Amino acid sequence: MADFEPRIVTFCCNWCSYAGADGAGVARLQMPTNFRIIRTMCSARVDPEHVLRAFSKGADGVMILGCHPADCHYIGGNYRARRRIALLRMVLEQYGFDPRRLKLEWVSASEGEKFQKTICEFVDTIKALGPTPLVKGDE
Amino acid sequence: MSKMGFFSNLFKKKDKKKDAAPAAAPAAAPAAAGASSMGGSIYAETDANQPIPGYVPGLGAPEGGKIKLAIYWAAACGGCDVSVLDSDEKVLNVGAMADIVMWPVAADGKEKDIEEMEDGSITVSLINGAVRNAENEHMVRLLRQKSQLVVAYGSCACFGGTPALANLIPGGSKEVLDYVYNQTPTSKAFCEAYPDKPHVPQTEIDVPEGHLTLPTLYNRVKSLDQVIDVDYYVPGCPPTQETLGQLLDAVVAFVYKGVALPPKGTHIGVTKRTLCEECPRHKENKRLDEIKEPYQVNIDPDKCLMDQGILCLGAATVGGCGAKCTRVGQPCRGCYGPTDKVTEHGASVFTAVASLFPILEEDPTCKEDKIIDIMSSIKDPLGYFYAYTMSKALIARSVKEGGQ
Repeated sequence: MADFEPRIVTFCCNWCSYAGADGAGVARLQMPTNFRIIRTMCSARVDPEHVLRAFSKGADGVMILGCHPADCHYIGGNYRARRRIALLRMVLEQYGFDPRRLKLEWVSASEGEKFQKTICEFVDTIKALGPTPLVKGDE
Repeated sequence: MSKMGFFSNLFKKKDKKKDAAPAAAPAAAPAAAGASSMGGSIYAETDANQPIPGYVPGLGAPEGGKIKLAIYWAAACGGCDVSVLDSDEKVLNVGAMADIVMWPVAADGKEKDIEEMEDGSITVSLINGAVRNAENEHMVRLLRQKSQLVVAYGSCACFGGTPALANLIPGGSKEVLDYVYNQTPTSKAFCEAYPDKPHVPQTEIDVPEGHLTLPTLYNRVKSLDQVIDVDYYVPGCPPTQETLGQLLDAVVAFVYKGVALPPKGTHIGVTKRTLCEECPRHKENKRLDEIKEPYQVNIDPDKCLMDQGILCLGAATVGGCGAKCTRVGQPCRGCYGPTDKVTEHGASVFTAVASLFPILEEDPTCKEDKIIDIMSSIKDPLGYFYAYTMSKALIARSVKEGGQ
Protein backbone atom coordinates (compact mmCIF):
# COMPACT_ATOMS: atom_id res chain seq x y z
CA MET A 1 0.00 0.00 0.00
CA ALA A 2 3.04 2.26 -0.40
CA ASP A 3 1.53 4.28 -3.24
CA PHE A 4 -1.77 4.86 -1.49
CA GLU A 5 -2.53 8.57 -1.29
CA PRO A 6 -5.47 9.13 1.02
CA ARG A 7 -8.18 11.67 0.37
CA ILE A 8 -8.97 13.57 3.52
CA VAL A 9 -11.69 16.13 4.15
CA THR A 10 -10.80 18.69 6.78
CA PHE A 11 -13.36 20.99 8.35
CA CYS A 12 -11.77 24.08 9.88
CA CYS A 13 -13.58 26.60 12.02
CA ASN A 14 -13.35 30.14 10.73
CA TRP A 15 -11.98 31.74 13.87
CA CYS A 16 -9.18 29.46 15.01
CA SER A 17 -8.25 26.53 12.86
CA TYR A 18 -8.64 28.19 9.49
CA ALA A 19 -6.43 31.01 10.69
CA GLY A 20 -4.07 28.35 12.02
CA ALA A 21 -3.96 26.73 8.60
CA ASP A 22 -3.27 30.16 7.11
CA GLY A 23 -0.46 30.59 9.60
CA ALA A 24 1.02 27.25 8.59
CA GLY A 25 0.91 28.35 4.96
CA VAL A 26 2.46 31.76 5.61
CA ALA A 27 5.24 30.12 7.62
CA ARG A 28 5.80 27.71 4.68
CA LEU A 29 5.55 24.64 6.85
CA GLN A 30 5.84 21.48 4.80
CA MET A 31 2.96 19.03 4.94
CA PRO A 32 1.31 16.41 2.77
CA THR A 33 -1.28 17.63 0.29
CA ASN A 34 -3.84 14.90 0.85
CA PHE A 35 -6.35 17.10 2.61
CA ARG A 36 -9.02 19.48 1.36
CA ILE A 37 -10.15 22.21 3.73
CA ILE A 38 -13.78 23.20 4.09
CA ARG A 39 -14.21 26.34 6.14
CA THR A 40 -17.15 26.44 8.52
CA MET A 41 -18.10 29.20 10.90
CA CYS A 42 -17.72 26.90 13.90
CA SER A 43 -16.81 23.28 14.53
CA ALA A 44 -20.40 22.89 15.74
CA ARG A 45 -21.58 23.84 12.26
CA VAL A 46 -20.28 20.51 11.03
CA ASP A 47 -23.40 18.42 10.88
CA PRO A 48 -22.79 14.67 11.25
CA GLU A 49 -24.50 14.46 7.87
CA HIS A 50 -21.57 16.36 6.33
CA VAL A 51 -19.13 13.83 7.70
CA LEU A 52 -21.24 10.86 6.63
CA ARG A 53 -21.61 12.37 3.18
CA ALA A 54 -17.84 12.74 2.93
CA PHE A 55 -17.37 9.09 3.85
CA SER A 56 -20.15 7.97 1.53
CA LYS A 57 -18.44 9.76 -1.35
CA GLY A 58 -15.22 7.92 -0.70
CA ALA A 59 -13.21 10.04 1.75
CA ASP A 60 -10.57 7.95 3.50
CA GLY A 61 -10.58 10.15 6.56
CA VAL A 62 -12.36 13.20 7.95
CA MET A 63 -10.85 15.71 10.32
CA ILE A 64 -12.64 18.41 12.25
CA LEU A 65 -10.54 21.20 13.70
CA GLY A 66 -11.93 23.79 16.08
CA CYS A 67 -11.00 26.30 18.75
CA HIS A 68 -9.58 24.97 21.97
CA PRO A 69 -12.10 24.26 24.75
CA ALA A 70 -13.04 27.47 26.57
CA ASP A 71 -11.82 29.41 23.53
CA CYS A 72 -14.80 29.10 21.17
CA HIS A 73 -15.78 32.25 19.36
CA TYR A 74 -19.39 31.29 20.06
CA ILE A 75 -18.69 30.40 23.72
CA GLY A 76 -19.81 26.77 23.63
CA GLY A 77 -19.87 25.57 20.04
CA ASN A 78 -16.89 23.27 20.38
CA TYR A 79 -18.44 21.58 23.43
CA ARG A 80 -21.46 20.70 21.31
CA ALA A 81 -19.22 19.56 18.49
CA ARG A 82 -17.17 17.20 20.62
CA ARG A 83 -20.32 15.49 21.92
CA ARG A 84 -21.68 15.07 18.43
CA ILE A 85 -18.38 13.80 17.10
CA ALA A 86 -18.08 11.35 19.99
CA LEU A 87 -21.50 9.98 19.08
CA LEU A 88 -20.61 9.95 15.42
CA ARG A 89 -17.47 7.96 16.15
CA MET A 90 -19.62 5.37 17.92
CA VAL A 91 -21.90 5.24 14.88
CA LEU A 92 -18.98 4.86 12.47
CA GLU A 93 -17.56 2.10 14.62
CA GLN A 94 -20.91 0.29 14.46
CA TYR A 95 -20.81 0.55 10.67
CA GLY A 96 -17.41 -1.14 10.79
CA PHE A 97 -15.18 1.88 10.17
CA ASP A 98 -12.07 2.27 12.25
CA PRO A 99 -13.00 5.24 14.49
CA ARG A 100 -9.52 6.69 13.92
CA ARG A 101 -10.72 7.70 10.46
CA LEU A 102 -12.57 10.56 12.14
CA LYS A 103 -10.43 12.95 14.12
CA LEU A 104 -11.35 15.94 16.23
CA GLU A 105 -8.52 18.26 17.18
CA TRP A 106 -8.19 21.73 18.64
CA VAL A 107 -5.98 24.14 16.68
CA SER A 108 -5.89 27.82 17.60
CA ALA A 109 -5.16 30.73 15.27
CA SER A 110 -1.55 30.94 16.40
CA GLU A 111 -0.84 27.23 16.12
CA GLY A 112 0.43 26.83 12.58
CA GLU A 113 2.87 24.22 13.75
CA LYS A 114 0.20 22.23 15.49
CA PHE A 115 -1.85 22.34 12.31
CA GLN A 116 1.08 20.93 10.36
CA LYS A 117 1.74 18.26 13.00
CA THR A 118 -1.94 17.25 13.13
CA ILE A 119 -2.16 16.91 9.36
CA CYS A 120 1.04 14.88 9.16
CA GLU A 121 -0.04 12.54 11.93
CA PHE A 122 -3.50 12.05 10.49
CA VAL A 123 -2.19 11.33 7.00
CA ASP A 124 0.16 8.74 8.51
CA THR A 125 -2.73 7.19 10.45
CA ILE A 126 -4.88 6.93 7.35
CA LYS A 127 -2.01 5.58 5.25
CA ALA A 128 -1.56 2.86 7.85
CA LEU A 129 -5.30 2.10 7.86
CA GLY A 130 -5.51 1.89 4.08
CA PRO A 131 -8.26 3.05 1.74
CA THR A 132 -11.83 3.51 2.88
CA PRO A 133 -13.61 0.21 3.52
CA LEU A 134 -16.67 1.50 1.71
CA VAL A 135 -17.42 -0.68 -1.30
CA LYS A 136 -19.47 0.84 -4.08
CA GLY A 137 -22.21 -1.11 -5.77
CA ASP A 138 -22.33 -3.97 -3.28
CA GLU A 139 -25.84 -5.28 -3.64
CA MET B 1 -73.95 -1.17 -7.44
CA SER B 2 -74.76 -2.35 -3.95
CA LYS B 3 -73.13 -1.05 -0.81
CA MET B 4 -71.90 -4.48 0.04
CA GLY B 5 -70.05 -4.72 -3.20
CA PHE B 6 -66.73 -5.15 -1.45
CA PHE B 7 -66.91 -8.77 -0.47
CA SER B 8 -68.72 -9.89 -3.55
CA ASN B 9 -66.15 -8.13 -5.62
CA LEU B 10 -63.19 -9.49 -3.73
CA PHE B 11 -63.61 -12.84 -5.35
CA LYS B 12 -65.28 -11.90 -8.58
CA LYS B 13 -63.33 -11.64 -11.80
CA LYS B 14 -64.36 -8.82 -14.06
CA ASP B 15 -63.08 -7.90 -17.43
CA LYS B 16 -64.03 -4.29 -17.50
CA LYS B 17 -62.73 -1.83 -19.97
CA LYS B 18 -60.43 0.67 -18.43
CA ASP B 19 -62.39 3.83 -17.73
CA ALA B 20 -61.19 6.91 -19.47
CA ALA B 21 -61.04 9.34 -16.56
CA PRO B 22 -58.47 7.71 -14.31
CA ALA B 23 -56.40 6.73 -17.31
CA ALA B 24 -56.07 10.22 -18.62
CA ALA B 25 -55.86 12.22 -15.45
CA PRO B 26 -52.78 10.88 -13.64
CA ALA B 27 -50.53 12.09 -16.39
CA ALA B 28 -52.04 15.54 -16.17
CA ALA B 29 -52.37 15.58 -12.43
CA PRO B 30 -48.87 16.44 -11.25
CA ALA B 31 -48.72 19.41 -13.58
CA ALA B 32 -52.15 20.64 -12.60
CA ALA B 33 -51.31 20.45 -8.94
CA GLY B 34 -47.93 22.05 -9.42
CA ALA B 35 -49.09 25.36 -8.03
CA SER B 36 -49.62 23.96 -4.56
CA SER B 37 -46.43 21.96 -4.69
CA MET B 38 -43.48 22.97 -2.59
CA GLY B 39 -42.17 19.44 -2.39
CA GLY B 40 -43.98 19.13 0.91
CA SER B 41 -47.17 17.56 2.04
CA ILE B 42 -50.77 17.93 1.27
CA TYR B 43 -53.11 18.24 4.24
CA ALA B 44 -50.43 20.13 6.07
CA GLU B 45 -52.19 20.76 9.35
CA THR B 46 -54.86 18.11 9.48
CA ASP B 47 -56.69 17.47 12.70
CA ALA B 48 -56.69 13.73 13.03
CA ASN B 49 -60.13 13.70 14.62
CA GLN B 50 -61.93 15.59 11.91
CA PRO B 51 -63.97 13.55 9.47
CA ILE B 52 -62.34 13.27 6.09
CA PRO B 53 -63.98 15.80 3.76
CA GLY B 54 -65.76 14.37 0.77
CA TYR B 55 -65.33 10.89 2.11
CA VAL B 56 -68.93 9.71 1.95
CA PRO B 57 -69.65 6.07 2.76
CA GLY B 58 -71.46 4.03 0.14
CA LEU B 59 -70.40 6.02 -2.86
CA GLY B 60 -70.96 3.17 -5.25
CA ALA B 61 -69.06 2.78 -8.46
CA PRO B 62 -67.79 5.93 -10.15
CA GLU B 63 -68.92 6.91 -13.59
CA GLY B 64 -67.15 4.87 -16.19
CA GLY B 65 -66.76 1.86 -13.90
CA LYS B 66 -64.57 0.89 -11.02
CA ILE B 67 -60.91 1.62 -10.82
CA LYS B 68 -58.47 -1.22 -10.26
CA LEU B 69 -56.51 -1.44 -7.02
CA ALA B 70 -53.64 -3.73 -6.09
CA ILE B 71 -52.17 -4.06 -2.61
CA TYR B 72 -48.95 -5.98 -2.32
CA TRP B 73 -46.49 -6.85 0.41
CA ALA B 74 -42.79 -7.23 -0.16
CA ALA B 75 -40.42 -7.60 2.82
CA ALA B 76 -43.02 -6.62 5.39
CA CYS B 77 -44.53 -7.90 8.60
CA GLY B 78 -48.16 -7.66 7.46
CA GLY B 79 -48.95 -4.76 9.77
CA CYS B 80 -49.53 -2.42 6.85
CA ASP B 81 -52.12 -4.77 5.36
CA VAL B 82 -53.81 -4.98 8.73
CA SER B 83 -53.82 -1.18 8.90
CA VAL B 84 -55.82 -1.14 5.66
CA LEU B 85 -58.31 -3.59 7.13
CA ASP B 86 -58.33 -1.50 10.30
CA SER B 87 -60.01 1.32 8.45
CA ASP B 88 -63.33 -0.18 9.61
CA GLU B 89 -66.29 0.62 7.39
CA LYS B 90 -64.14 2.74 5.09
CA VAL B 91 -62.78 -0.46 3.63
CA LEU B 92 -66.28 -1.07 2.21
CA ASN B 93 -65.93 2.17 0.35
CA VAL B 94 -62.71 0.90 -1.14
CA GLY B 95 -64.57 -2.15 -2.35
CA ALA B 96 -67.38 -0.04 -3.78
CA MET B 97 -64.97 2.18 -5.63
CA ALA B 98 -62.34 -0.26 -6.77
CA ASP B 99 -61.86 -3.76 -8.02
CA ILE B 100 -59.15 -5.26 -5.88
CA VAL B 101 -57.13 -7.17 -8.43
CA MET B 102 -54.48 -8.32 -6.00
CA TRP B 103 -54.14 -8.35 -2.23
CA PRO B 104 -52.30 -11.43 -1.03
CA VAL B 105 -53.36 -11.04 2.60
CA ALA B 106 -57.10 -10.71 1.98
CA ALA B 107 -58.12 -11.33 -1.61
CA ASP B 108 -57.46 -13.56 -4.55
CA GLY B 109 -55.44 -12.48 -7.56
CA LYS B 110 -52.24 -14.20 -8.55
CA GLU B 111 -49.06 -13.18 -10.27
CA LYS B 112 -50.22 -14.67 -13.59
CA ASP B 113 -53.46 -12.65 -13.43
CA ILE B 114 -51.41 -9.48 -13.13
CA GLU B 115 -49.06 -10.59 -15.88
CA GLU B 116 -52.00 -11.05 -18.24
CA MET B 117 -53.22 -7.51 -17.67
CA GLU B 118 -52.37 -4.69 -20.02
CA ASP B 119 -49.65 -2.26 -19.00
CA GLY B 120 -51.05 0.61 -16.96
CA SER B 121 -54.40 -1.04 -16.37
CA ILE B 122 -54.15 -0.99 -12.57
CA THR B 123 -55.04 2.50 -11.34
CA VAL B 124 -53.27 2.39 -7.98
CA SER B 125 -50.86 -0.09 -6.42
CA LEU B 126 -50.21 0.21 -2.71
CA ILE B 127 -46.95 -1.57 -2.04
CA ASN B 128 -45.78 -2.10 1.51
CA GLY B 129 -42.50 -3.58 2.65
CA ALA B 130 -38.89 -3.20 1.61
CA VAL B 131 -37.30 -4.99 -1.32
CA ARG B 132 -35.13 -7.74 -0.01
CA ASN B 133 -35.11 -10.65 -2.43
CA ALA B 134 -35.51 -11.48 -6.09
CA GLU B 135 -39.22 -12.20 -5.74
CA ASN B 136 -39.91 -8.83 -4.08
CA GLU B 137 -38.07 -7.12 -6.90
CA HIS B 138 -39.85 -9.10 -9.63
CA MET B 139 -43.29 -8.38 -8.18
CA VAL B 140 -42.78 -4.66 -7.60
CA ARG B 141 -41.38 -4.25 -11.10
CA LEU B 142 -44.37 -6.12 -12.49
CA LEU B 143 -46.81 -3.96 -10.52
CA ARG B 144 -44.99 -0.82 -11.61
CA GLN B 145 -45.35 -1.87 -15.24
CA LYS B 146 -49.06 -2.57 -14.84
CA SER B 147 -49.94 0.44 -12.68
CA GLN B 148 -50.52 4.11 -13.33
CA LEU B 149 -49.76 5.09 -9.75
CA VAL B 150 -47.53 3.34 -7.24
CA VAL B 151 -47.72 4.27 -3.57
CA ALA B 152 -44.94 3.30 -1.17
CA TYR B 153 -47.16 2.40 1.76
CA GLY B 154 -45.54 2.26 5.19
CA SER B 155 -42.06 2.96 6.50
CA CYS B 156 -40.43 -0.15 5.03
CA ALA B 157 -41.44 0.78 1.49
CA CYS B 158 -40.55 4.45 2.08
CA PHE B 159 -37.24 4.14 3.95
CA GLY B 160 -36.37 0.45 4.31
CA GLY B 161 -37.85 0.21 7.79
CA THR B 162 -36.86 -2.39 10.35
CA PRO B 163 -35.87 -5.06 7.78
CA ALA B 164 -33.18 -2.68 6.52
CA LEU B 165 -31.30 -3.01 9.82
CA ALA B 166 -30.11 -6.29 8.30
CA ASN B 167 -27.87 -4.11 6.14
CA LEU B 168 -25.68 -3.75 9.21
CA ILE B 169 -24.86 -7.45 9.35
CA PRO B 170 -21.27 -7.58 8.08
CA GLY B 171 -21.60 -10.91 6.29
CA GLY B 172 -24.71 -9.89 4.35
CA SER B 173 -27.30 -12.43 3.24
CA LYS B 174 -24.92 -15.35 3.77
CA GLU B 175 -24.55 -14.55 7.45
CA VAL B 176 -28.29 -13.99 7.84
CA LEU B 177 -29.12 -17.36 6.31
CA ASP B 178 -26.40 -19.11 8.27
CA TYR B 179 -27.67 -17.66 11.53
CA VAL B 180 -31.31 -18.45 10.88
CA TYR B 181 -30.84 -21.96 9.53
CA ASN B 182 -27.76 -23.13 11.44
CA GLN B 183 -27.32 -21.14 14.64
CA THR B 184 -30.71 -20.62 16.24
CA PRO B 185 -31.62 -23.30 18.80
CA THR B 186 -34.45 -24.82 16.76
CA SER B 187 -32.32 -24.89 13.59
CA LYS B 188 -29.49 -26.45 15.54
CA ALA B 189 -31.75 -29.26 16.66
CA PHE B 190 -32.75 -29.83 13.03
CA CYS B 191 -29.13 -29.79 11.87
CA GLU B 192 -28.23 -32.40 14.48
CA ALA B 193 -31.18 -34.60 13.60
CA TYR B 194 -30.51 -34.46 9.85
CA PRO B 195 -26.76 -33.96 9.46
CA ASP B 196 -26.66 -35.12 5.83
CA LYS B 197 -29.46 -32.84 4.55
CA PRO B 198 -28.84 -29.30 3.31
CA HIS B 199 -29.74 -26.87 6.08
CA VAL B 200 -29.79 -23.55 4.30
CA PRO B 201 -32.51 -23.31 1.64
CA GLN B 202 -31.11 -23.64 -1.86
CA THR B 203 -32.14 -21.15 -4.54
CA GLU B 204 -32.24 -23.99 -7.07
CA ILE B 205 -32.56 -27.72 -6.60
CA ASP B 206 -33.38 -30.73 -8.77
CA VAL B 207 -35.72 -33.23 -7.15
CA PRO B 208 -37.39 -36.29 -8.75
CA GLU B 209 -40.53 -34.19 -9.27
CA GLY B 210 -38.67 -31.51 -11.20
CA HIS B 211 -36.63 -28.33 -10.90
CA LEU B 212 -37.45 -26.13 -7.89
CA THR B 213 -36.39 -22.56 -7.33
CA LEU B 214 -36.51 -20.05 -4.47
CA PRO B 215 -35.88 -16.30 -4.62
CA THR B 216 -32.34 -15.09 -3.88
CA LEU B 217 -31.89 -13.10 -0.69
CA TYR B 218 -30.09 -9.81 -1.33
CA ASN B 219 -27.17 -8.45 0.66
CA ARG B 220 -28.81 -5.08 0.91
CA VAL B 221 -32.41 -4.31 1.83
CA LYS B 222 -33.71 -1.55 -0.42
CA SER B 223 -36.54 0.91 -0.15
CA LEU B 224 -39.15 0.76 -2.89
CA ASP B 225 -37.94 3.87 -4.71
CA GLN B 226 -34.46 2.40 -4.98
CA VAL B 227 -35.93 -0.26 -7.24
CA ILE B 228 -38.88 1.31 -9.06
CA ASP B 229 -40.34 4.72 -9.72
CA VAL B 230 -42.66 5.70 -6.86
CA ASP B 231 -45.45 8.29 -7.14
CA TYR B 232 -46.48 8.81 -3.53
CA TYR B 233 -45.18 7.97 -0.10
CA VAL B 234 -47.28 7.10 2.92
CA PRO B 235 -44.94 6.78 5.91
CA GLY B 236 -45.77 5.19 9.22
CA CYS B 237 -45.32 1.89 10.95
CA PRO B 238 -48.07 1.23 10.14
CA PRO B 239 -49.64 4.30 8.49
CA THR B 240 -52.44 5.69 10.62
CA GLN B 241 -56.06 5.33 9.64
CA GLU B 242 -56.23 9.09 9.17
CA THR B 243 -53.38 8.94 6.66
CA LEU B 244 -55.03 6.10 4.81
CA GLY B 245 -58.20 8.17 4.85
CA GLN B 246 -56.32 11.08 3.29
CA LEU B 247 -54.88 8.84 0.62
CA LEU B 248 -58.27 7.32 -0.17
CA ASP B 249 -59.84 10.74 -0.09
CA ALA B 250 -57.39 11.99 -2.68
CA VAL B 251 -58.17 8.97 -4.84
CA VAL B 252 -61.93 9.41 -4.33
CA ALA B 253 -61.78 13.10 -5.19
CA PHE B 254 -59.80 12.23 -8.26
CA VAL B 255 -62.01 9.37 -9.44
CA TYR B 256 -65.38 11.01 -8.76
CA LYS B 257 -64.72 14.72 -9.15
CA GLY B 258 -61.66 14.80 -11.36
CA VAL B 259 -59.71 16.72 -8.71
CA ALA B 260 -56.04 16.64 -9.58
CA LEU B 261 -53.89 14.29 -7.58
CA PRO B 262 -51.14 15.72 -5.38
CA PRO B 263 -47.78 16.32 -7.10
CA LYS B 264 -45.57 13.34 -7.65
CA GLY B 265 -43.28 12.47 -4.77
CA THR B 266 -45.64 13.84 -2.11
CA HIS B 267 -45.43 12.32 1.33
CA ILE B 268 -49.07 11.96 2.23
CA GLY B 269 -50.31 12.61 5.74
CA VAL B 270 -47.21 14.37 7.04
CA THR B 271 -46.89 17.90 8.35
CA LYS B 272 -44.11 20.31 7.48
CA ARG B 273 -42.70 20.32 10.96
CA THR B 274 -41.40 17.83 13.46
CA LEU B 275 -43.39 15.71 15.84
CA CYS B 276 -42.58 18.04 18.78
CA GLU B 277 -44.97 20.57 17.18
CA GLU B 278 -47.96 18.29 17.68
CA CYS B 279 -46.85 16.52 20.84
CA PRO B 280 -48.98 17.76 23.74
CA ARG B 281 -46.24 17.28 26.32
CA HIS B 282 -44.71 20.33 27.98
CA LYS B 283 -41.09 20.90 27.08
CA GLU B 284 -38.65 22.62 29.42
CA ASN B 285 -35.55 21.91 27.31
CA LYS B 286 -33.78 20.30 30.21
CA ARG B 287 -30.31 18.86 29.79
CA LEU B 288 -29.86 15.11 29.80
CA ASP B 289 -27.60 13.65 32.46
CA GLU B 290 -28.40 10.08 31.76
CA ILE B 291 -30.38 8.11 29.20
CA LYS B 292 -33.13 5.94 30.62
CA GLU B 293 -35.43 3.31 29.24
CA PRO B 294 -39.17 4.02 29.56
CA TYR B 295 -39.60 1.21 32.10
CA GLN B 296 -37.01 2.77 34.42
CA VAL B 297 -38.96 6.00 34.77
CA ASN B 298 -42.22 6.78 36.46
CA ILE B 299 -43.30 8.81 33.47
CA ASP B 300 -44.89 12.19 34.15
CA PRO B 301 -47.85 12.36 31.73
CA ASP B 302 -47.46 16.10 31.02
CA LYS B 303 -43.72 16.54 30.67
CA CYS B 304 -41.56 16.06 27.60
CA LEU B 305 -40.11 12.55 27.50
CA MET B 306 -36.69 13.88 26.56
CA ASP B 307 -36.77 16.09 29.67
CA GLN B 308 -37.35 12.90 31.65
CA GLY B 309 -34.28 11.24 30.19
CA ILE B 310 -36.00 9.05 27.64
CA LEU B 311 -34.53 9.07 24.13
CA CYS B 312 -37.30 10.33 21.88
CA LEU B 313 -36.77 10.87 18.15
CA GLY B 314 -39.61 13.37 17.88
CA ALA B 315 -37.28 16.34 17.61
CA ALA B 316 -36.05 15.20 14.20
CA THR B 317 -38.98 13.15 12.92
CA VAL B 318 -41.66 14.67 10.74
CA GLY B 319 -45.09 15.05 12.31
CA GLY B 320 -48.45 13.89 11.01
CA CYS B 321 -49.13 10.85 13.13
CA GLY B 322 -50.80 12.91 15.86
CA ALA B 323 -48.11 11.96 18.41
CA LYS B 324 -49.83 8.69 19.16
CA CYS B 325 -46.81 7.16 20.88
CA THR B 326 -45.71 10.10 23.00
CA ARG B 327 -49.29 10.69 24.16
CA VAL B 328 -49.22 7.31 25.88
CA GLY B 329 -45.72 7.67 27.28
CA GLN B 330 -43.73 5.85 24.64
CA PRO B 331 -40.90 7.73 22.93
CA CYS B 332 -41.04 8.42 19.21
CA ARG B 333 -38.99 5.85 17.30
CA GLY B 334 -38.95 7.84 14.09
CA CYS B 335 -41.16 5.77 11.79
CA TYR B 336 -42.35 8.83 9.83
CA GLY B 337 -38.82 9.61 8.72
CA PRO B 338 -37.15 12.99 8.45
CA THR B 339 -38.65 16.34 7.49
CA ASP B 340 -38.38 17.30 3.83
CA LYS B 341 -35.34 19.50 4.50
CA VAL B 342 -33.27 16.60 5.77
CA THR B 343 -31.93 13.57 3.94
CA GLU B 344 -30.16 11.82 6.78
CA HIS B 345 -32.68 11.10 9.50
CA GLY B 346 -30.33 9.42 11.97
CA ALA B 347 -27.69 12.14 11.78
CA SER B 348 -30.40 14.72 12.30
CA VAL B 349 -31.55 12.93 15.44
CA PHE B 350 -28.20 12.53 17.05
CA THR B 351 -27.23 16.10 16.32
CA ALA B 352 -30.23 17.07 18.42
CA VAL B 353 -29.62 14.46 21.10
CA ALA B 354 -25.92 15.24 21.52
CA SER B 355 -26.75 18.90 22.07
CA LEU B 356 -28.94 17.98 25.02
CA PHE B 357 -26.02 16.74 27.06
CA PRO B 358 -24.95 19.46 29.50
CA ILE B 359 -21.63 21.24 29.37
CA LEU B 360 -19.63 20.19 32.38
CA GLU B 361 -17.41 22.29 34.59
CA GLU B 362 -14.49 20.07 33.67
CA ASP B 363 -15.24 20.49 29.97
CA PRO B 364 -12.42 23.01 29.27
CA THR B 365 -9.82 20.64 30.65
CA CYS B 366 -11.05 17.11 30.02
CA LYS B 367 -9.96 14.86 27.16
CA GLU B 368 -12.12 13.38 24.42
CA ASP B 369 -12.14 9.97 26.15
CA LYS B 370 -14.23 11.48 28.93
CA ILE B 371 -16.75 12.75 26.37
CA ILE B 372 -16.92 9.33 24.74
CA ASP B 373 -17.63 7.87 28.19
CA ILE B 374 -20.52 10.30 28.62
CA MET B 375 -21.97 9.62 25.18
CA SER B 376 -21.67 5.87 25.70
CA SER B 377 -24.77 6.08 27.86
CA ILE B 378 -26.59 5.89 24.53
CA LYS B 379 -26.62 2.22 23.68
CA ASP B 380 -26.58 1.16 20.04
CA PRO B 381 -26.86 4.66 18.51
CA LEU B 382 -26.78 3.39 14.94
CA GLY B 383 -29.59 0.91 15.46
CA TYR B 384 -31.65 3.35 17.49
CA PHE B 385 -31.35 6.44 15.33
CA TYR B 386 -31.63 4.62 12.03
CA ALA B 387 -34.29 2.13 13.15
CA TYR B 388 -36.54 2.96 10.18
CA THR B 389 -34.36 4.72 7.66
CA MET B 390 -31.31 2.52 7.12
CA SER B 391 -31.97 1.97 3.41
CA LYS B 392 -32.03 5.71 2.86
CA ALA B 393 -28.90 6.44 4.90
CA LEU B 394 -25.86 7.88 3.14
CA ILE B 395 -23.95 4.80 4.18
CA ALA B 396 -26.57 2.09 3.88
CA ARG B 397 -24.41 -0.96 4.51
CA SER B 398 -21.95 -2.09 7.11
CA VAL B 399 -18.31 -1.97 6.03
CA LYS B 400 -15.26 -4.04 6.84
CA GLU B 401 -11.84 -2.49 7.44
CA GLY B 402 -9.01 -4.07 5.48
CA GLY B 403 -11.43 -5.64 3.05
CA GLN B 404 -9.86 -3.97 0.02
